Amino acid sequence: MSAPPAARPAAEAAAPAPRPGGDPLIRLFHVSKSYAAGQFALRDVSLEVKKGELVFLTGPSGAGKTTLMKLLFAAERPSEGQILVLGRNVARVGERGIPQLRRRVGVVFQDFKLIQSRTVEENVAVTLEVIGTPPREARAKVFAMLKRVGLHHRRHHRPAALSGGEQQRVALARALVNEPAILLADEPTGNLDAALTLEIMDLVAAAASRGTTVLVASHDPSLVRRYARRVLKLDGGRLVEDLPGGAAA
Amino acid sequence: MTRALFQVYYFVRSAIAGLRGSPLTTGVCIATIAVATIPLGGLWVVTGNMRALLDQFGSELQLTAFLDPKVRSDQGRSLAAKASAIDGVERVEFVSQEEALERFRTRLGGTALLEALETNPLPASLSIALAEEARAPEAVARVSEALHALPGVEDVAGGETWIEGYGRALRLVRSAGLGLGLVLATATLLIVANTIRLAVYARRDELEILSLVGASRTYLRVPFLLEGVVQGAIGGLLGVGLLFAIFHVAVPQLRDALELFLGWSDPSFLSPRNVAILVAGGAAFGLTGAGVAALRTRVS
Repeated sequence: MSAPPAARPAAEAAAPAPRPGGDPLIRLFHVSKSYAAGQFALRDVSLEVKKGELVFLTGPSGAGKTTLMKLLFAAERPSEGQILVLGRNVARVGERGIPQLRRRVGVVFQDFKLIQSRTVEENVAVTLEVIGTPPREARAKVFAMLKRVGLHHRRHHRPAALSGGEQQRVALARALVNEPAILLADEPTGNLDAALTLEIMDLVAAAASRGTTVLVASHDPSLVRRYARRVLKLDGGRLVEDLPGGAAA
Repeated sequence: MTRALFQVYYFVRSAIAGLRGSPLTTGVCIATIAVATIPLGGLWVVTGNMRALLDQFGSELQLTAFLDPKVRSDQGRSLAAKASAIDGVERVEFVSQEEALERFRTRLGGTALLEALETNPLPASLSIALAEEARAPEAVARVSEALHALPGVEDVAGGETWIEGYGRALRLVRSAGLGLGLVLATATLLIVANTIRLAVYARRDELEILSLVGASRTYLRVPFLLEGVVQGAIGGLLGVGLLFAIFHVAVPQLRDALELFLGWSDPSFLSPRNVAILVAGGAAFGLTGAGVAALRTRVS
């Protein structure tokens, strides 16, 4: 019988402040996205995010946060402008290039997006299976990752048996198990209470402290204040503010 | 290379999980292919047996070339040698007028009627056995024509008319089989493709998640194709098994009719090779159906 998990993984909560630098891993040049003529979800957005940065993407509902996230992992194509993610032009990446890109960009969603018919362990393992990782190696990595998020003792359970916070930790483990260069988290705590929100955000911040570039979409101002990192504010599809770390506190 | 091998392992594992996870879809696909296999296999049994019957009659088929009464025995033997050289002729026997009369007498049991004859009315003839490859109606006609062309041959008789009729019937059954096969194949493909499409649809959340973590189109599609192959092969095997059961129930009932009309009472089932072809055909159907489903639902 494994030991019960800590309410919040202590090592992650005390993660040191990151030291971002180097070339930007994400670059947007005058990016617009419209779904219907004249109706822009994003309009003329230009920005850069450097390696190891933890950036909050804020703004009211309908501001374009989710659209921006979708553009970054090639779920959508921009109507105008260019997007460079890890040196690849996402606006032009072909069908075959999309899986290659997604293997280096972990994504977490508000609704977790877990496969209900698979166990926790199997859900996390899918990230490694799609790239043909040997089963033994995959099992070891999955176990280590689940331990990191404090869920190794629940690896044989199915998502339905877990709490919302636990499910989001599984989703986070799935996104991080392949050590992606970028982590995109779209309202990762939107369905969670305050305590679970901190639990998840500490894990996200810990990923950034390990060198992963993290972009978190959130409309929760308390989170932005607590972590005091760079904030990109969207409104009506436009980037209206780009505040450096601490400025939003 | 190693990673590719492990991907194959994950494909197989995912396909097995898919089959076990959606028993209804799996059952419908297997049943559809099994049901389609029965009439297709049944037609194959019928045409195969008709062909065997044709071969059996063909092996007993002999042509008789009747010679001009002026042809002497030595000329007759020379004609026999020439007839042997005709393509498709296996063996030629010269039957002189005297031998013909003797055979006739033996057959009739030595009646007084023949004793009353002053001259021998029976012509000399060549009795010709055909090679196996010349037992088809077209080949029989060709040999018959070549015999006609020999000097001294007055007429050629044989069972070619019956063979031609039987050959036509065989072609008709084959054509009908082909037509029915095409209709059945199309219907089966549509049902299988739509059923697998439902399975794809039922697992769209899972596919979306796999796609989000970087699964290629191949990774998403191959398990469905493997499932199609397995369902098709099981369906084909089940269909052949049911056909075998039907064959063994039906043949004893039909034995008297077959014997009465065709003089033949021993039809055979499909050879192991043909059974393997039918099962492989089922697998191919499953594969095609799954491929169509995967393409139409844009698994990506």
